[in-house]
Amino acid sequence: SVQAHKEEDNPQRTMEVNGLTTPVPASYDYDLIVIGGGSGGLAAAKEAAKYEKKVMVLDFVTPTPQGSSWGLGGTCVNVGCIPKKLMHQAALLGQALQDSRKFGWQFTEEVKHNWMTMTESVQNYIGSLNWGYRVALRDKKVTYENAYGEFVGPHTIKATNKKGIEKLYTAERFIIATGERPRYLGIPGDKEYCVSSDDLFSLPYCPGKTLVVGASYVALECAGFLAGLGLDVTVMVRSILLRGFDQDMANRIGEYMKEHGVNFIREFVPIKVEQVEEGTPGILKVTAKSTAGDQMIEGEFNTVLLAIGRDPCTRKIGLDKVGVNINEKTGKIPVNDEEQTNVPYIYAVGDILQDKLELTPVAIQAGRLLVRRLYAGATTKCDYVNVPTTVFTPLEYGACGYSEETAVEKFGEENIEVYHSHFWPLEWTVPSRDNNKCYAKIICNIQDNERVIGFHVLGPNAGEVTQGFAAAIKCGLTKEQLDSTVGIHPVCAEV
Amino acid sequence: MGWEEVQVRGYSEFVRTAQSYHGRPIFALFCGDKDAEGKSWCPDCVTAEPIVRKELHNLPDGSVFIYCLVGDRAYWKDPNNEFRKNLKLTGVPTLLKYGTPQKLVEEECFKAELVRMLFTED
Repeated sequence: SVQAHKEEDNPQRTMEVNGLTTPVPASYDYDLIVIGGGSGGLAAAKEAAKYEKKVMVLDFVTPTPQGSSWGLGGTCVNVGCIPKKLMHQAALLGQALQDSRKFGWQFTEEVKHNWMTMTESVQNYIGSLNWGYRVALRDKKVTYENAYGEFVGPHTIKATNKKGIEKLYTAERFIIATGERPRYLGIPGDKEYCVSSDDLFSLPYCPGKTLVVGASYVALECAGFLAGLGLDVTVMVRSILLRGFDQDMANRIGEYMKEHGVNFIREFVPIKVEQVEEGTPGILKVTAKSTAGDQMIEGEFNTVLLAIGRDPCTRKIGLDKVGVNINEKTGKIPVNDEEQTNVPYIYAVGDILQDKLELTPVAIQAGRLLVRRLYAGATTKCDYVNVPTTVFTPLEYGACGYSEETAVEKFGEENIEVYHSHFWPLEWTVPSRDNNKCYAKIICNIQDNERVIGFHVLGPNAGEVTQGFAAAIKCGLTKEQLDSTVGIHPVCAEV
Repeated sequence: MGWEEVQVRGYSEFVRTAQSYHGRPIFALFCGDKDAEGKSWCPDCVTAEPIVRKELHNLPDGSVFIYCLVGDRAYWKDPNNEFRKNLKLTGVPTLLKYGTPQKLVEEECFKAELVRMLFTED
């Protein structure tokens, strides 16, 4: 049974929520409760602890349909950025081994990849991060509970742990940072037989011949490293690649992947997944229908990876009980520029925010600045403009600022100037790798001193290259300043 | 069933002992050697040991606590010693849950709260 607070001890304050009058506790268990222990939630909690606030973090992972689960740290650490980049690196090393022969390295054996060895190492590293977060929270006296948090009334949440035991907690303020989970297709066989990125990075067997459904960066990055590890990979795309990104760059990425062994099936969507043979992996049969007509195709794969989008975890956390508005269609939470929801004592950070970038550093920055504004009298708000990002496809893509399409739309084609160039990384020359694939472009606003408003680079180490340019763009970099900056030679970035 | 303590010295003895308890939760505290008066050359180990010992009653039933002396100061400082190379230890004292990434290093071992968390939580 649920143990409620002794209401007879609290003077009866009431609050109107959705027309219902409910009692409000007069003093709270915590200054701040953070629901969600991911990038945004942990950053906010640790920051609040610095100001000696009494903080609780609730983190809970509902297992995937395949049964996968993970520890404290959220998507990025467990099933996102970290394992993704490590597996991308594994694939790059495979390529490097091939290149190395041209540089004089001699090995007679054929080089093969062992999925289990890689996965164990990656999971071990993730385990050390999970542990590190728990040590950090405990050290800073932040209370952490591995329990599912949901609102049950004003200032009150219920926390249910994996044994089903419920506890109630109250706080003066809340930060919702529950993040997202992969979307399923809603077709027969999807939850029974398909996996998502939530499962892939801890898959206890090599995925084998894989169909990746989707054209998001998750889909392309996963397809990319799976192919790089030597697996037979097909990507099924409903319409365009990397919606929201510069489409010229997106198409170049797709072309590169196609030329390097990834199969693409364009303008088809799966309509059912059936199991032909059980096993780890088994054999699945996928039936797909064309989006442009009635054509149907079938294919057999060991693994089907769904990467068609992610949905916010906001529908089952009792937001209706406290009156927090969400976008009913998307599940995202609209906030003002101080990350405050429509309920003054409830805030939100991270991937669940409407119209904000879904990136770890953004969530961290927003969480920290929010807490500083709440408890340290700061006024700085999170700057969501000119946030750099990188897609870790086999040919990496770094970007900051406007895509070409968006710049044209906003400023007019006649007011922008695009400067671009192919380049051939020196390291690629000796092993005779492609000489016309790496590419960089900047988009300038002619009316504003040719200010650089968009930066795009496709090539090795794109993330490392982009980071510095993002700082320059933040300082108002113009084309002239860029031209007058002497290049470092021989590096890709000098282009 | 409670828990039991085993004291070992040096890398080979540690590995043999850990292997012999395979299947049970194993916790290990690594400290610098002690002199004839029972005092370690490692001052942090001297501080940490009583704090860790005070939390041992929290060990789960069936656990094994291995108290391991790593060697003298010169051996420890060698960057190629077996504890550094094979167990990836970076400092003494180190308190760890064998076979997991869970560990506490140096000053972290001074904090009873953290030691308790290592012993009692998953």
